[in-house]
Amino acid sequence: MSPLRQLAQGLLRAVLRHSCTENEEWARAMLVEMDFIESDWAALWWALGCTTAIWRQSGRGLRRRFGKHAIHKEAGMNEGGKKAVGFLSGVGVALGVAAAALGVLFVMFSYFPFMQDHHVGQWFHFGVGIFIPETIFIVATIALWRKRRPMAIGILLVAAVSWVHLAIHFAHR
Amino acid sequence: MKIRLSPQTLLVLDAFLRSPADWKYGYDISRNTGLKSGTLYPILIRMAEREMLETSWENSEEGRPPRHLYRLTAEGVRFAREHRLTAAKGMLRSASLEGAEG
Repeated sequence: MSPLRQLAQGLLRAVLRHSCTENEEWARAMLVEMDFIESDWAALWWALGCTTAIWRQSGRGLRRRFGKHAIHKEAGMNEGGKKAVGFLSGVGVALGVAAAALGVLFVMFSYFPFMQDHHVGQWFHFGVGIFIPETIFIVATIALWRKRRPMAIGILLVAAVSWVHLAIHFAHR
Repeated sequence: MKIRLSPQTLLVLDAFLRSPADWKYGYDISRNTGLKSGTLYPILIRMAEREMLETSWENSEEGRPPRHLYRLTAEGVRFAREHRLTAAKGMLRSASLEGAEG
C-alpha cells in the first residue's frame, strides 16, 4: 500500500475512532468506500473531503444540542422581546470586539511604551483600534442584515458611535 | 419536509431519479455527479435525516467489507420529482426571459 493511501486510511480511521455515535455509520461508510477508489491521490482527496464532512456534521450536531435551549427560551418571547434580545446581543458582540481591540492596544503599549510616540505606533493604533473593528462591524452588519436585523442594528449602532468618536477626535486635533 | 435545494442537491436528486428503485454506492454517486465527498456526504446525511433517503449495508462478499447503499424513499422520490420539475420550469422561464430580452 502506498504512503498516500496509508495516510488517507489513517485519516479516515482516526475520524471513525473519534466520531460520535450518530456519525459513526457514515464515517464507516466513507472508509469502506475508499477501498473502491483506484487512484491514491483520489483516495486522499476523498479522505480529506470525508473528514471535512464529518467535522461539519459534528458541528451541526453540537449547534443543534446547545441551540435547542436558546430556541425554546426565544420561542416563549413575543416579537418585541426577540428584537430587544437580538439588538442587545448585537451591541454586546460589538462592544466585545471593541474591548478586545482596546485590550490588544493596551497590552502592546504597556510592553512597548516607546511605540506611543512613534509613527509605527500610531499606524498600529489606527489599524488595531479602528480599522479592524470597523471592518468587522461592517462585514457583520451586511452578513446579518437579512436574517438577524435587530442584531445587525445593534452592531451598526456601536459602529456609528465609534465613527462619531473618531470624528470628534480628528476635529479636536 | 425541508431541504435546501442547492444546485448540488439537485444533482444528487437527479442521480437518484435516473433509477429510483436501485441502491447506489457513495463513490458511484460522487463520480456520476462530479461532486467531491465533502459536498456529497453532507447532502446524503441531510436527506437521510429528513427521511428522503434510506440507507443499508450490502451483504459482504468474501474478504471485502460491506458497502453502504443509498436509495430514495417513496417520499424522497415524490419530493425529487416535484422539485426537479420546479427547477426545470424555473430554468425554462429564465431562458425564455433571456430570449425575449435578447
